[in-house]
Amino acid sequence: MNIVELHNLKKYFATQKAVDDISMTIPKGSIFGLLGPNGAGKTTLIRMITGIFYPDSGDIFLKGKKFDPENDARYIGYMPEERGLYKKMKIGEQALYLAQLKGLSRNDALVKIKAWFKRLEMESWWNKKVEDLSKGMGQKLQFVITVLHEPDLIILDEPFSGLDPINANLIKDEIYRLAQNGTTIIFSTHRMEQVEEICNQIVLVNKGKKILDGTVQQVRQDYKENLFSVQLENIPPVVNSNAFEIISSGKEELIVKINQGFKPNDVLGYFINTGNGIVSFKEILPSLNDIFIKLVEGTPTSRQFQAIDS
Amino acid sequence: MQKILLIIKREFLTRVRKRTFIIGTILFPVLYLGLIFGTGYIANKTRDNLKVGLIDRSGLFTEKLITDVNKNDTLNILQLVNTDPEKFKRDFDSLNYDGYVIIPKKFNWQTGVDSNRLIVNTKKSFGVNALNPIEEKINKIWNKIKHDSLGLDAAKETILGKNMDLRVNNEKDKNANAGVATVIGYVCGFLMYFILLLYGSQVMMGVTEEKTSRIAEVVVSSVKPFQLMLGKIIGIGMVALTQFLIWIACIFIIYNVSTTTGGSGGASAMVGKIQEVFTSVNVPLVVGCFIFYLLAGFFFYSSLYAAIGSAINEDMREAQSLSFPITMLIIFSIALMTPAISNPSSSVAVWASIIPFSSPIVMMARIPFGVPNTVPWWQLGLSMALLIAGFMFTTWFAARIYRTGILMYGKKPSWKEMIKWAFRK
Repeated sequence: MNIVELHNLKKYFATQKAVDDISMTIPKGSIFGLLGPNGAGKTTLIRMITGIFYPDSGDIFLKGKKFDPENDARYIGYMPEERGLYKKMKIGEQALYLAQLKGLSRNDALVKIKAWFKRLEMESWWNKKVEDLSKGMGQKLQFVITVLHEPDLIILDEPFSGLDPINANLIKDEIYRLAQNGTTIIFSTHRMEQVEEICNQIVLVNKGKKILDGTVQQVRQDYKENLFSVQLENIPPVVNSNAFEIISSGKEELIVKINQGFKPNDVLGYFINTGNGIVSFKEILPSLNDIFIKLVEGTPTSRQFQAIDS
Repeated sequence: MQKILLIIKREFLTRVRKRTFIIGTILFPVLYLGLIFGTGYIANKTRDNLKVGLIDRSGLFTEKLITDVNKNDTLNILQLVNTDPEKFKRDFDSLNYDGYVIIPKKFNWQTGVDSNRLIVNTKKSFGVNALNPIEEKINKIWNKIKHDSLGLDAAKETILGKNMDLRVNNEKDKNANAGVATVIGYVCGFLMYFILLLYGSQVMMGVTEEKTSRIAEVVVSSVKPFQLMLGKIIGIGMVALTQFLIWIACIFIIYNVSTTTGGSGGASAMVGKIQEVFTSVNVPLVVGCFIFYLLAGFFFYSSLYAAIGSAINEDMREAQSLSFPITMLIIFSIALMTPAISNPSSSVAVWASIIPFSSPIVMMARIPFGVPNTVPWWQLGLSMALLIAGFMFTTWFAARIYRTGILMYGKKPSWKEMIKWAFRK
């Protein structure tokens, strides 16, 4: 079952096609990476899913039904990239207020806030103000406020920026825990190593269009370049085979690219024949980072203003 | 709806619980009254007290006449010069006189002097009215001289001294009292002015704060931008209303306490004043209208302030330049108030109290003069209806700017761009 379905979403601004005909589905319970360079249209897309913007055209379905921003707000938790809280308001009251705005009753909200504060060791913060918190503490609070009302869909925009490794791990564990309980998480970022680690599915957008969609494994398979790492006991000075080419050679390792029509076995066969001792042999899949750079490179790094005729 | 109530509650409680609200509620009336009485007191205090020498060459201005008039006003002294006049002319400064007047030899008890003019020679400059008491004294003395010469005795003098006083009797409104109405009108108008400016800018700063602290994006993922804006405006409006009601309650308490205890001296004088207000002005009507114009006028202006607040970024100078036209409207209204009070039935007063932007201040200045005599019912009704239509329009207009502005960062938009936002589909 898909928790979110987007059909041909479009949102044009005065000088930009911020989101230009994007369709995608997000399966329930997945950790979904929404990737793209700065200004690709990620935030606009998220703002439409959270009901902040109305799309110019296209449909959004949430939990199988047409998205109704006013009543569906409680199913969604959104943590914007720019963190925002009332600086002068007491933390406990603030959490209570924002949870109630999401549609929780006062008592419900109170119980849930207490539980979260206890788990993340924030109980002593209740009567403090946000301006008393450090940046990292503020992040943690913002995360708690985002997930407090137990939404089915959580959208996190760069959730780890500004967090130290310990707190980042804490949040990461919470994300895993929520996903295990069936919560869907959309994770917007341009930090690829985090995506590889956490997400099971990704979409890459650039210049308002979707350019890549699939599971992390699938995407890496799709963009593999038949590269293999061969570790040998001693590297032969001359290697001559029509099955593969050497991309680079290190002290004990060769990186080879297998030519069209040949198999890994042909590489191993060659070295067995030449009598070089094989220590290890493994495929090199491209990292998401490489794929990202490859796909986005060559397009202008920042979006250009364009004339929209509508 | 539930969510708007939550927002209103938060806006209201965070403000009312602040120490600045409590201090402001107590301090404002004190400062306000202090300003009124203080300036009066200072004006009294700093008035010049003159000591003027009189050199009499006519022989008519006797010592006795002069000391008689000095008895009535001991602050401004007229002193007959008995010493050598030439020496006095030279030295009056060092003798602590402010100046001297010479009554010429040809001064005639019937016609005075030719030009009807006497000169005070001085080395100082005086305010416009500073010489009035001295002038009055000299004329009193001359009157006395005339009476004596005509052979009038004290009894006849009192007969001659009798004067008429003209008072208004408004046949439609027996209790009308223009003096009290003027004071109440000024108080209402200025109070409205302060509340609109003060709380209007609070709305503006509140919106900007939500925008720059980026909480707005979190909140509008739960509620519509319009709900957030309306909640803020209503919440702050309630704060303004609370403050006003506290003041009204205080006046009633002071009134009741002081009438029962009777009071003495200053207190009883104040009770008398308040009683005069209660008999000559329809207090419930004035208070009721004030609450209406306070809220409606507040919605009218504060929604515009909210739109500006949503358009600006951290820089408060941007706020000033964008809010200038709105602030000017309020200041213009207060400028229209003065002519409206001095002639509450003039066409300027009528129209200024009907057109929405100036009606909260100008109408409140007119109402104490009496409804329906000075302000006919149709004018009051039309003014209220137009103001309601006006604030519905400004709220609609502002909401459309607000929903774009609140999520727009970067360059400060111009008014032209903001109007474009408002009329975009």
